[in-house]
Amino acid sequence: MKTKISALMDGELASHELDEPLQALAVDAEACEAWRTYHLISDVLQGTALLADNCVRRVTARLVEEPALIGPLPADVAPPERARWFVPSALAASVAAVALVGWMAFAPQEKAAPLLAPVALDQQPAPIVVAKKAAKDAPARLPMTAATRDYLIAHQTFSPRNSLQGMARYVRAVSAESAPAKP
Amino acid sequence: MSRTLGALLLCTVAGWAQAQTTPEALGWLRKIYDATEKLSYTGTFVYQQGDRTETSRIAHRAGARGGTEKLEVLDGAPREILRTGDEIRCYLPESRTVKVDHRSDPRAFPALLPEQVDGLAENYVIALGETRRVAGYDCRAITLTPKDDLRYGYTLWADARTGMLLKARTLDLDGSTVEQFTFTQLRIGDVPRERLQPPRAAQGWRVEQAGVAPVDLSQAGWRVGAELPGFRKIVEIRRMLRDTHPVAQMVYTDGLAAISVFIEPLVGRSEAPRIGIASMGALNVYTRKVAEHLVTVVGEVPAASVQRIGNTVEYNQPQ
Repeated sequence: MKTKISALMDGELASHELDEPLQALAVDAEACEAWRTYHLISDVLQGTALLADNCVRRVTARLVEEPALIGPLPADVAPPERARWFVPSALAASVAAVALVGWMAFAPQEKAAPLLAPVALDQQPAPIVVAKKAAKDAPARLPMTAATRDYLIAHQTFSPRNSLQGMARYVRAVSAESAPAKP
Repeated sequence: MSRTLGALLLCTVAGWAQAQTTPEALGWLRKIYDATEKLSYTGTFVYQQGDRTETSRIAHRAGARGGTEKLEVLDGAPREILRTGDEIRCYLPESRTVKVDHRSDPRAFPALLPEQVDGLAENYVIALGETRRVAGYDCRAITLTPKDDLRYGYTLWADARTGMLLKARTLDLDGSTVEQFTFTQLRIGDVPRERLQPPRAAQGWRVEQAGVAPVDLSQAGWRVGAELPGFRKIVEIRRMLRDTHPVAQMVYTDGLAAISVFIEPLVGRSEAPRIGIASMGALNVYTRKVAEHLVTVVGEVPAASVQRIGNTVEYNQPQ
């Protein structure tokens, strides 16, 4: 695997060979260590200014500290796939490669970011910061509360879809999802 | 990025592969409306959104003014909704509450009449899809592809014989499923009156009346700026939420999707309002503060659409 990672860094792999080392980098700590070591060696040889060695960890930690965005659930994102697309242009410089690692950690949030875009930041700063959450496994979402349920019922009464589908759509307004945690 | 691409792709595909709404497809939509109104049936359906599912039982007894209809949620607390004509009663056991809502103004009744179906073609390309079996019924698919990114798309599966809607899927701009209703069991035919009784346990529960009345919001100084293309206002009322909260409600619709704009004073609220977006399947809820009022936009449209309409709500002190 280390040979492949080295080849990947040097841009010597064909596009169909990229999957395996990138997968390894996503899950295998040893592969990641090799990735870092090779870049360190390359940086020393080329005299590139070094970043602090715990840079990736610090960037990741900061991301986890970031407040969660409120919005519809982003679709599941597979970072390696995005990374694959990113590779050819990123491999050239070692600094960019470090950025790649940071970027991979950032990917799941980056997908959510466009949700912010439609929010007009005019005189009524809209939205959106609420909870501190770990970025990866806690998808950001403002839960429906008992109070929200009242709006849903009131809204549903006037939905023209009722005449197409009867009352089935009311199920959303009274769904357990929109139920209060406690009575 | 993928959203924009999806929208582009959708436009291209809509404009190229199936540019035209077909009369047959519109005929099928009319057939579904007819069936919803005229058929009596009992059945079980599953509602899916994200990775969650919820099973419910539904019964409809055809009659004057839409007849009687009952929905019972079978998972979790036994929530029930009973509609008799224009009156809707929600029985919520967790809070021991009955919420009563009325479509009081018959002119405001937003039911889409069969002759209005044609109007849907302004905002959607409506076409026939494949045939597929759902819950034992041979169904015809009808696809509604939005002509812009302000609304969702739909695929409906209707019983080839009666037109009864067996399955409905809401699709976002990327063509991914946002939510889905599917009957797993359905029996068409007479439904005994006893099947449509309110839950016995509900005696003694608190009753909250919506107390709907017409209102003129523009006279009160409220304005919804640029409205969403293809949506028109069908309702403007004053009502109660939770017995104690008077709110104004405006409803906009493109004939299929609806957006409600609620406006209520913040004065006297004990808790701080939650500003932001929440979603539930195809429903998005956007909350914002305007002139010491809370504006809540609820719609079965993409999040960007509820935000867009919510951000144009303005208040100007009446002269």
